[in-house]
Amino acid sequence: MEIHQVLVSASSGDASTNAAMELRSLLRRIGPSDIFARYYDDAMAAEVLPLKRYARRRSSRPEEDVIILHATIGEPEVFSFIRDRPERIVLVYHNMSPSEPFESWDPAFAGLLEGGRRELAELRDRVTLALAPSRFSADELLSLGYADVRVSPLVVDPAALRATPSDPATTNHLETMVEGPVALFVGQLLPHKRPEFLLAAYHALVTYLLPEVNLIVVGAARAAPRFRQVLQGFVKELNLSRAWLTGAVTQQQLVSFFRRADLFVTASDHEGFCVPLVEAMAFGLPIIARAQTAIPEVLGDGGLLLPADASPLLLAEAMAAVLTDETVRSDLMARSAKRLTAFDPDLARATLLENLLDVA
Amino acid sequence: MDTNSAATPRVDALVAELQAKVEKRRQEGAYPPGLEQELDEHFRRIASHRVIPDVDDLHAHLHRLDATARFTADIPVDSGLPGGSTLHRAMNRLLVRQTQGILGQVQRFADDVRRALADIVAALEDPSCHVHGDLVGQIDLVFDKLASYERSPGDSAAAIGNLRHRVEQLEAAEDRRRFRPWFGNARFEEQFRGTRRELRERYRDLAERLALSGPVLDFGCGRGELLELLEEMGVEASGVEIDPDLVQATAREGLNVTLDDGIQHLSGLRDQSLGGLTLIQVVEHLSAQQVVELVSLAAEKLRPGGKVIVETVNPQSLYVFAHAFYADPTHTTPVHPAYLTFLFREAGFAEVDIDWRSPPAESETLLQVDGDGAVGEVVNENVRRLNNLLFGPQDYALIATR
Repeated sequence: MEIHQVLVSASSGDASTNAAMELRSLLRRIGPSDIFARYYDDAMAAEVLPLKRYARRRSSRPEEDVIILHATIGEPEVFSFIRDRPERIVLVYHNMSPSEPFESWDPAFAGLLEGGRRELAELRDRVTLALAPSRFSADELLSLGYADVRVSPLVVDPAALRATPSDPATTNHLETMVEGPVALFVGQLLPHKRPEFLLAAYHALVTYLLPEVNLIVVGAARAAPRFRQVLQGFVKELNLSRAWLTGAVTQQQLVSFFRRADLFVTASDHEGFCVPLVEAMAFGLPIIARAQTAIPEVLGDGGLLLPADASPLLLAEAMAAVLTDETVRSDLMARSAKRLTAFDPDLARATLLENLLDVA
Repeated sequence: MDTNSAATPRVDALVAELQAKVEKRRQEGAYPPGLEQELDEHFRRIASHRVIPDVDDLHAHLHRLDATARFTADIPVDSGLPGGSTLHRAMNRLLVRQTQGILGQVQRFADDVRRALADIVAALEDPSCHVHGDLVGQIDLVFDKLASYERSPGDSAAAIGNLRHRVEQLEAAEDRRRFRPWFGNARFEEQFRGTRRELRERYRDLAERLALSGPVLDFGCGRGELLELLEEMGVEASGVEIDPDLVQATAREGLNVTLDDGIQHLSGLRDQSLGGLTLIQVVEHLSAQQVVELVSLAAEKLRPGGKVIVETVNPQSLYVFAHAFYADPTHTTPVHPAYLTFLFREAGFAEVDIDWRSPPAESETLLQVDGDGAVGEVVNENVRRLNNLLFGPQDYALIATR
């Protein structure tokens, strides 16, 4: 029996790609295991095989093998591949972003998300076991008619993250050129993550409350390139000279940003899990977020959870409180560090393996 | 993972507190009304503009084109039907030449399109590269400069400290050299210039020359003897004096006196506002530059017909240097009558006269021999010449009319 994984697209820094890599190292302890992807960037070429190669594998008894499908978006080719393969299918549902926020920015991408949900519903009977990283995502699958859905949190290894060396150039820049407190957001620049909401809150913060605060938005803009350009225009027109949209970064650079930050903040409307929350906990940062989708479940009492409908001004006020009130700050830091213990990577790995072995 | 999502009371209380703060600020007008809607609309406005893609996005498009514009003549032959594969293969063989021909054309076209697009992107990128390179170069320069300043703060601080120390030393040395006697000037004047009464007698004739020249300014009026004489004559007169003790003494006599630097005071007066200006034993205390400045100021401030009287030691009398001149440590340079005459004439004064004053007592001069004869005459002629040279009048007064 062999267990392989299939991704629609693989790119460095992407949460589902990271999850697949993490899982592969577990699976390779048992037997041969590869990652196949329909699309991948140059950086992943050494790790990932093209999906077409899967068919050329020789397996004596494919119906005994398992394909783990990481579902993030629709893709007709991957869908028909999965539908027609004889292997048993385990679905790892990373949650699909809602298509609506993308419609005006990237209609093609919105179409893929829309299609993805349809495909997900159609694959229901092909899937032996469905895993979701959060209760929120699991409920979504149940509502699509899936029978066996289990919550299996993503493996985030805080110790490994903390042991990652900083990028010297980035650290040097942050230490010498960036003065004042730093509020950090980590996540792809996508409409449903609401970076423009965060920028509006930040505008209120630096204009009316604390002018010396910096905002660093770390994350690639793989889809919806126009969205990124509009955000940059927004930053320029609001004259937010201390806001920085970094674009894609390496893991070392990411660690530099986490080490320099005074606060982690997200205004996101939709998260299937939100790995950066756990990463921020790994660095003991105070966290501010809005109670949307999987965020309350992952953040728990580990941060300052604002109501789902919190306004930009409330977010600004919360940032000001964390940056100026030492009591609030130290309380949130203690909560953040305490909450981290809920994400034991070994426990997460064990849960994952246990679920997979059930199928095997 | 613990899925307990209930926020603890403390966080709830904090959120409520923050909400109250936002409301309070809103009500107090700390935020402009409608701020959030405005920001939202602002973002939408930008979003509705057409955004020109940057070169990076064009590269991404080219990259995708690279991956997709590869046409192959592979036609799948597998089939679920018995004999289906054989049929497909046979059809393939029939069609393969045409298919390959068409695909070849499509591929060539796609390659041409791709090359053209790549050239366009490169051309677009080129000028931005220049600008970019230029900017990077300039930023590097700025950083270099900054770094050199940052490297040298210790050096320049030390250099400035060193310079400051030297300036302070020079100032201290200069200060030590400055003449500031512990004795009173009034006492000195009485001893070396004469009593009040003596001075009044000495200057009465000068005062009389100014009977019709009011208002008179007495520059360096000392104890105010001349002022007193002028007042008694009913001439409007005021004095300026730089020594505070002397000013006090003069004011005590009920005379009109100002504590100031004379040249500064004079230059502050209205042009042609004076009828007379007197400088009694003053110019030998001044520098050469101050003297020329003084003369031109006098020309400006005197009305036509106004008079200047400058009384000073006579350097043509060698006796002066044995007696009066060096008795005053604040004398700098004696002013020669010929030079002073020249100055006033050059400054446009119509009449300039010299009045020779205070000849040494005859008892101090060289004696002549008695008796006639050639030898006696020669000796006496020599004695006269020597007397003229040695015992000339000790002072002179220059009287200039504007």
